[in-house]
Amino acid sequence: MKPFAFLSYFFAGLLAGSLYGEEIPKGVQHIISNSCLECHDSLSEKGDVNLEQVSIDWSNPHDLDVWLRALDAVDDGLMPPPEEKQLSDAERETVLTFLDTKMLEHTPIGGTLPRRLNQGEYEATIRKLLSLPKFKLPVGFPNDTEHHGFDNLGEGLVLSPSHLDGYAKVARSIADQIFPPAKEAAKKQAWEAGPEDMVLSFSAATVHGDALRLVSRSVDIMRSCSWPSRIEIKDSGTYQISVDASQFLSEKGHSFEEPMILEVYARPVSATDRSRVSDFRLIKEIKVTSEKSESTEFEADLYTGETVLFRWANAEMTHAYSELTDQLEDWFEQDPRFLAAWQKAVFPKDDFKSIQTTSLRGRNGWNIISKHRANPDLDLSRATMDSEMTRRLLKLTNSYNGTFNFADALCHFYHERGPALELHQLTIEGPSKLIKSPENLAREKLQEKITGVRKEEQSKEVFAREMLKAFLPRAFRKPVSDETVKSYLTIATRHWDEGHSLDEGLHLLLRNILVSPRFLYRSLEPGEMNDFDLATRLSYFLTQGPADAKLVDLAQRNRLSITQPSESDKNKTEYWVIRREADRLLPKKHTDRMIQSFVGQWLDTRTLSGIMPDPKFNFGEESTRIAKYETERSFVEMLNTNRPMTDFIDPDFTFASVDFIQRNYGFTPPFALKEGTKLSSSEKRKLRKVDIKRGGRHGGLLGQASILMATANGVDTQPVIRGVWVLENILGMAPPPPPKDVPALTPDTQGTTNPREMLTAHTKDAACSACHQSIDPVGFVLENYDPVGRWRTEWPGTNAGIDPSGVLPDGTKIRNAIEFKAWLVENIDLFSECLAEQLMTYATGRVPNYAEKREIEEIVKINHENGNGFRDLILALVESKTFRTR
Amino acid sequence: MKSKAPESLHTHNRRHFLRAGAATLALPTLEAFSAPAPDASAPRNFISVGTWLGWHQNAFFPKDAGTDYEMSKTLMPLNELRDTFTVFSGLDHRAPNGHGSWSNFLSGATPATYSLDQMVADEIGEKTRFASFELTAGAGEVSKSMSYTRQGVGLPMIQRPSVLYKQLFISKADQKRTEYVLQSGKSALDMVLEDALRLQKSLPGRDGAKLDEYFESFRAVEKRMGRQLDSINDPVPETNYKLPSYDPITPNLQIEAEEIMYDLMVLALETESTRVMSLFLHGLGQVFSFDGEALSAGYHGLSHHGNDPVMINDLVSIETAHIHCLARFIRQLQEKKNTAGKTLLDDTVILLGTGMGDASRHSNANLPTLVAGGGFQHGNHIATDPKQADAPLLGDLYITLMQRLGMEVDQFSNASRNMNQLFS
Repeated sequence: MKPFAFLSYFFAGLLAGSLYGEEIPKGVQHIISNSCLECHDSLSEKGDVNLEQVSIDWSNPHDLDVWLRALDAVDDGLMPPPEEKQLSDAERETVLTFLDTKMLEHTPIGGTLPRRLNQGEYEATIRKLLSLPKFKLPVGFPNDTEHHGFDNLGEGLVLSPSHLDGYAKVARSIADQIFPPAKEAAKKQAWEAGPEDMVLSFSAATVHGDALRLVSRSVDIMRSCSWPSRIEIKDSGTYQISVDASQFLSEKGHSFEEPMILEVYARPVSATDRSRVSDFRLIKEIKVTSEKSESTEFEADLYTGETVLFRWANAEMTHAYSELTDQLEDWFEQDPRFLAAWQKAVFPKDDFKSIQTTSLRGRNGWNIISKHRANPDLDLSRATMDSEMTRRLLKLTNSYNGTFNFADALCHFYHERGPALELHQLTIEGPSKLIKSPENLAREKLQEKITGVRKEEQSKEVFAREMLKAFLPRAFRKPVSDETVKSYLTIATRHWDEGHSLDEGLHLLLRNILVSPRFLYRSLEPGEMNDFDLATRLSYFLTQGPADAKLVDLAQRNRLSITQPSESDKNKTEYWVIRREADRLLPKKHTDRMIQSFVGQWLDTRTLSGIMPDPKFNFGEESTRIAKYETERSFVEMLNTNRPMTDFIDPDFTFASVDFIQRNYGFTPPFALKEGTKLSSSEKRKLRKVDIKRGGRHGGLLGQASILMATANGVDTQPVIRGVWVLENILGMAPPPPPKDVPALTPDTQGTTNPREMLTAHTKDAACSACHQSIDPVGFVLENYDPVGRWRTEWPGTNAGIDPSGVLPDGTKIRNAIEFKAWLVENIDLFSECLAEQLMTYATGRVPNYAEKREIEEIVKINHENGNGFRDLILALVESKTFRTR
Repeated sequence: MKSKAPESLHTHNRRHFLRAGAATLALPTLEAFSAPAPDASAPRNFISVGTWLGWHQNAFFPKDAGTDYEMSKTLMPLNELRDTFTVFSGLDHRAPNGHGSWSNFLSGATPATYSLDQMVADEIGEKTRFASFELTAGAGEVSKSMSYTRQGVGLPMIQRPSVLYKQLFISKADQKRTEYVLQSGKSALDMVLEDALRLQKSLPGRDGAKLDEYFESFRAVEKRMGRQLDSINDPVPETNYKLPSYDPITPNLQIEAEEIMYDLMVLALETESTRVMSLFLHGLGQVFSFDGEALSAGYHGLSHHGNDPVMINDLVSIETAHIHCLARFIRQLQEKKNTAGKTLLDDTVILLGTGMGDASRHSNANLPTLVAGGGFQHGNHIATDPKQADAPLLGDLYITLMQRLGMEVDQFSNASRNMNQLFS
């Protein structure tokens, strides 16, 4: 949306031809009044363009914009319109030269407003600055406003009171994390836990009187372990732990000759039950050798939030696939009655149809098997190792579900008969000594990174000054003056003078640094960008975060902006260092922040998760995810392999799964058609790079599901919306906003008129037709793609075949999307300029003005002439004056 | 950007609340701040409770429809309270099946989208100290969500009763800490401001003007801190309620945690700390023991009962224990009155349900649903037939609930009617 309102037109109209501004040379005036004023005088103002002026106020943004549009229209051959008398070559030249010269003169390069860090940038900044790699803004933090399609433009990034309030709160929680308030003094405590206080999970443990039995050595704690549920250590320290344990053996059970190894781990109470023992710290191994309960006492370090966890490490029982199958096989071989009982439990109807084995889980399963085993009438006829039923039973055992279900049942054999390990009593007492938990130690390291090490006998004030001298330049992304250091130092010293502790002063200091405008805004330095600002711009452009050590070092030594004469053209200057650094920092993976942010906004892949395709398209969350991946991964491929720009439009590759391509694009990728290629269903679902034929319906931005989805609403398509999208994001010719009094098109569900008929009626009005002449053809040409990007030939709900043909603004007739793609490939610079402008807008935080656009055009042209690719283009953009100027 | 009224209103309400919590709960100025309710009898609170593993349908739904139905096995603890609730069968969101789609419970046909409780909170939550609370019992992990913001962000849940307690009943120590942070923060702002002004002076006109936003916001935040400081020493609600010395967060202590969460919810409603709370009842492999007897398998294992009668029986005993907690909650709400003399039960719409219709098959159709309180005409089993062409959706019931809470809505997810005819 162009940022001018109705009123400014009104005033501009009043002022036209007034005292303000520079007079238009008579020759130019003459041409304008002959060829333009029939429509663009102060009365008609067609398209809101009034050229009836004798002078132009170039400092007035509105005037600038009107004349820029006039310039563009004449330059693109759109004006005068084809049906009117055309300008002679000389006239054209005169008008264009005049406007071009004036525009260049009056649109100096630069002018970005201070840019507040947006959400993504803020997160990345905190993560790097404070070494908090997992930092996230809290849910509900106020959103950023989009401006010209991006959420990182100076003009759009408003700072509201809720933003600042949000920043202040986040700053407090960060400070709390790094300089936490003093804890209450630790109190000694004693806990006791008997079998009743222990966790029973799946078939891991059972209670028998005063004993808790463990039977499995599975590495999954919920299958094998137990732990007291009402003990949670408050203060990290050394504790006295006592465990009463014994062996449980019975005549009916197997024997157990070795000592039983009882492992004691320290586990956080809040850790998920899906943890494995290897996730925890082993604090003791106890050898349990007697059937009589014996106490073992030991000392161990436990940290805040932890409890202890028990596992019998050398149990016979396991939940591992193959071991369990072997074990059961042995048992079946030794005991046909046992085998027959399992057969009856799993195949109750005597045919080969197994029951849902989940119901055999736990004690219930064991009870069923035991009941069958005890039944004197149990059918033993198939209880041989070579019977089909045994084979099927073992196959089931060796499957993912079977293993767990059968093992959970089998555990109860051991619970009932042993061998099992019994726990009777646990006591924990302490702390006898306080220790630092790993979290404390990590925090100390973090503090040290921020404050530096305090030297012996260094006063608080000197310590803090040293810290500020090192930390403030990092936080503010440039050198800071002594005055600024002093301001912040006063915050801490005043606080200490009031009797607060060292940490409290630092806490306060950090909180306030994080709400300083020097931290919250970038692009602050007036005038030419210095090396530090350049480093910051480059880094936020390519990584969303602050400059890394290498960039900062280059900036400190003023190396970032150094130049050398170009090798190919001695008259040209190369900014080779910044180019080299850009090459180093460019994203490499589709998940990198820059891709998610830039592509997400340029091609709207960010919006996909909010679009819910109608169920009839059979396009669920998984498909949406692949569509997003296809577009983002393709973009990265263009970058990584420096592809020619035309590969954005008509490439010979894409990234998706074979299944997705078949379902959504309706063809099988050539490699999968090759003889002898048979893909399993998981191979079909695998995301991969797929070679495709050029010149087809799909492939390239305009045939990608994500873009066709983002430009529709999940239910139906609207050619006008797609048309405007293509003009803005592919061709770089954003049409002016639609007049307010025109209602949106509502699809005719009765099917009496098709979309084209409706739109033709809608745009008969001459006032509409000027813009719709550009919008409609590039919108209708995509009508063969439905709201999720599948090819279609009829408009839904009508019997009308789709007519995608049209005439492009330059007069080229196109019959369909394939021809449109071919036209785009021919005229690729149009697209390259558009993408380059988008990149520059995103990078500099301002919409490029006339002079800047001319520089971008020139870069695109040279890049093309030299046969260079997309990566080259970005690197050339980074070297430009537009990029290097604030 | 100018600093605007909403914040000041918020603070005012907070202060007002804090005073209210101290003495009696009655306060004459209350009406001045709440929008005039369309109906004075309209309930003002909304509680939603959902189980991860569903409710065994055969034991949950009564066999007969209408007011003379025989109490079902699962709902037996509510037998004496039958006039306080209504059971619904045949309702769902026509949402996809599977655990992955569980969040359809409060989100409707599209899982993990703007949830019912958050819609209510966004509408009426502003008027209390906390817009809403999201709670869970029995979760050994907190990666799941039942409540989703307008933007589809899954909200984290409070798992530890002690954390909820701390928020509801600020301790003297916490109060002091907040005061300290505000006080110190406010005094330090001068120096930041001084530096910011120096910065602004160095910038050319347009850039400097851009920073005006910063200074305006700065003053607004400073004022807000001042107001917070003014009200910091206002009394906070107090309670005699004693938490256990440990947080019952391991899954096997779920029922214990659930009871405490319900108790705290009663206190939150009583002190008008919030109007909207959701409680998520998770289910993993934990093996419960009732009356000293361990059940035949873990909770999750039992839910995959494969129609085995022993497993179903044990599963239903867990679900009955959940309903037992609900019954205890309803009784407490019956006994307590709000500031206007209405029972908290009449003042509170309670929705109990799940996103999982049948955990044994992972089907999300025919979701067991129960509504209690809120001043509805209860005592009924409203059975609808989903096969009928114009069968109501669960969303239609949600619309009725929202309208009851005074919201002007006629749409929820894929539903755009209501059940006011059947249920009022």
